[in-house]
Amino acid sequence: MSINAIAKKYSYKTLAERELEDANEEYEHFVPNLSTMSPSLTLPPISQPTEFLRAHTDDSVNPECKIKIAHGTTTLAFRFQGGIVVAVDSRATAGSWVASQTVKKVIEINPMLLGTMAGGAADCQYWETWLGTQCRLHELRNKERISVAAASKILCNLMYEYKGMGLSMGTMVCGCTPKEGPTIYYVDSDGTRLKGDMFSVGSGQTFAYGVMDSNYRWDLTVDEALYLGKRAILAATHRDAYSGGSINLFHVTEKGWVYHGNYDVGPLFWEIKEKEGSFNNVKV
Amino acid sequence: MEVVLGIRAKDGVILATSKAFTRGISVLKATDDKTRILNDYNILGFTGEGGDTTQFADYIQANIQLSTMREGTELNSKAIASYVRYELAKSLRTRKPFQVNVMLAGLDKREEPFLSLIDYLGTRVDLPYAAHGYAAFYTMSLLDRHYTPDISVEDGLKLLDMCEKELVKRFPMEFKGLLVKVVDKKGIRVVKGNE
Amino acid sequence: MSGYDSALSIFSPDGHVFQVEYALEAVKRGTCAVGVKGKEIVVLACERRTTLKLQDPRITPSKINRIDKHVQLAFAGLNADARILIDKARIEAQSYKLTLEDPVTVEYLTRYVAGVQQRYTQSGGTRPFGISTLIAGFDPNDKTPRLYQTEPSGIYSAWKANAIGRSSKTVREFLEKNYEKEKDLSDEETIKLSIKGLLEVVQTGAKNIEISIIKPEETRSMTNEEIEKIVKEIEDEKAAEAEKKKPKKKD
Repeated sequence: MSINAIAKKYSYKTLAERELEDANEEYEHFVPNLSTMSPSLTLPPISQPTEFLRAHTDDSVNPECKIKIAHGTTTLAFRFQGGIVVAVDSRATAGSWVASQTVKKVIEINPMLLGTMAGGAADCQYWETWLGTQCRLHELRNKERISVAAASKILCNLMYEYKGMGLSMGTMVCGCTPKEGPTIYYVDSDGTRLKGDMFSVGSGQTFAYGVMDSNYRWDLTVDEALYLGKRAILAATHRDAYSGGSINLFHVTEKGWVYHGNYDVGPLFWEIKEKEGSFNNVKV
Repeated sequence: MEVVLGIRAKDGVILATSKAFTRGISVLKATDDKTRILNDYNILGFTGEGGDTTQFADYIQANIQLSTMREGTELNSKAIASYVRYELAKSLRTRKPFQVNVMLAGLDKREEPFLSLIDYLGTRVDLPYAAHGYAAFYTMSLLDRHYTPDISVEDGLKLLDMCEKELVKRFPMEFKGLLVKVVDKKGIRVVKGNE
Repeated sequence: MSGYDSALSIFSPDGHVFQVEYALEAVKRGTCAVGVKGKEIVVLACERRTTLKLQDPRITPSKINRIDKHVQLAFAGLNADARILIDKARIEAQSYKLTLEDPVTVEYLTRYVAGVQQRYTQSGGTRPFGISTLIAGFDPNDKTPRLYQTEPSGIYSAWKANAIGRSSKTVREFLEKNYEKEKDLSDEETIKLSIKGLLEVVQTGAKNIEISIIKPEETRSMTNEEIEKIVKEIEDEKAAEAEKKKPKKKD
């Protein structure tokens, strides 16, 4: 270390110097690079945050663990002729305990963008709300709505920055812009980001895929598509113990998203069973 | 369980990647593209840890393009291979290395077909044909048997078809077919699997 | 050691930042650059300094620089300062694409360049960039031509046609007179107008002009022969006009 560097460490900075430094920092914000876009989180002072987290949260290894993270879920989204349908269940489980039956698993990022929640509820809620603020800032800076591609990439880059540090998220960013049309991106805490027509995320994903794949067509009407979304989640809640509660339905078009109601799977199951003559493993 | 296969022919290079994107027990996407176009005559195929792969490939792509803008001329394949290897070797010595294996296919100086295999440890080998991961176990013997140095792109594609048939028959994983790209004097083009 | 003397850019009592104004002087001494927006293209035209006898004109750096596939930047002022700014712009263009997937818009890049220029007028121990820039190009998936200007102070503005550098006032006035606002310029008219504008101040003709034609899908520089052809056309027109005027005077 040079003598200057050592001296600098102990020298007193004048107010003017400090102000200039602060001012320069402010101007750095002009450039939307990731380090200035995300708040900095303090990491626990241990060598392996992931190991620590696992030791205290993984109830499959240690049922006595103190913190139980909400994990089980079924969420889905698909593109069709009339836009995008997003459907989710509402159960939160912590280990084998059903912690809540009324969780909002669709996060309204802004009037045009929706995000779904699977994995850690807190992680999804916090970072997707944060994404909303980034989208708004982009809008103000560029006088243009952010593309779904860019929004999902911001989230994905953030996920990647925290990769291996214990974040747990599987989400679909859904939106519709004039340049892109209806678009879905799958983003998860590995830093994976995929564009696609149809995704389902969570412990009940296989059951939802089963119903969706066999009944999906591009030229579905809006009502048919909403029904398919609802029906696929119902199938998952029926077979996956970690999914249940009620179904929340959304429809996304170029005008923004529209909420299409909440359906308790209790009565809905019997209603659909009777109407379709399905679920014949269950006796009335 | 992803497939990346490359064959260097006398008049061009073939790069094939599997189209399935699998997470856990579900195939999330059946039309995935595990390649990035670096410039008019070079493409990069990649496999490895989710997130790392795209993040690394995008980073390489941005830097190659930046270099093109700065220098006003394109990097040749050997220079790119050397740069990619350097980045992987550099990353290996950090706290969180990229776990990515890549394959570079291109025309060196827009003339000479070039194929290079680089793994996450920074090992680079320039080869006439190559494969990453389990696919190598099924296809290398086929390529050893049928490849000749004067093979044309057309015959190379036939050889690739044989490889794909073998993979479909014996490989236990569903990989949703191959996306095949060719680099030759005319540039980069998709030959198969991109609807 | 108050720290105040390390910052050169401080206000004079009547509200001027002299260093910035001196920077504008440096711009005025730089060779002229012209930008003209047509209906479907943008043209950047620059005056090239005469090369010395033993200088190699082919590898002497150009004043028109590519920032990304769809954006070009021309400047007037200190060449060495421009190099730094251009490199920053190129890095930002790639970095933007890396973090947001979409390529930069021309306006965003202009704002970034102007932002960098502004920062250098307000930070300690730095000197403002002695250059003005013309930034031209097309936004991704958009066919609207765009043309912006930035100045050493960090001001940026959008233009239909503009000139910077030596005698820019003359050229701007010429463009104001000859740019028909109501009519959309065709590709040929746009190129011709930009050369005409530049010829107002460049006496040496075609060999000291460089031109970049920017279209939504491609950007290219004109060859000397192409420029010469147009210069000749313009000169012929001028001669014909002068010819017309002469007999009248005699009458």
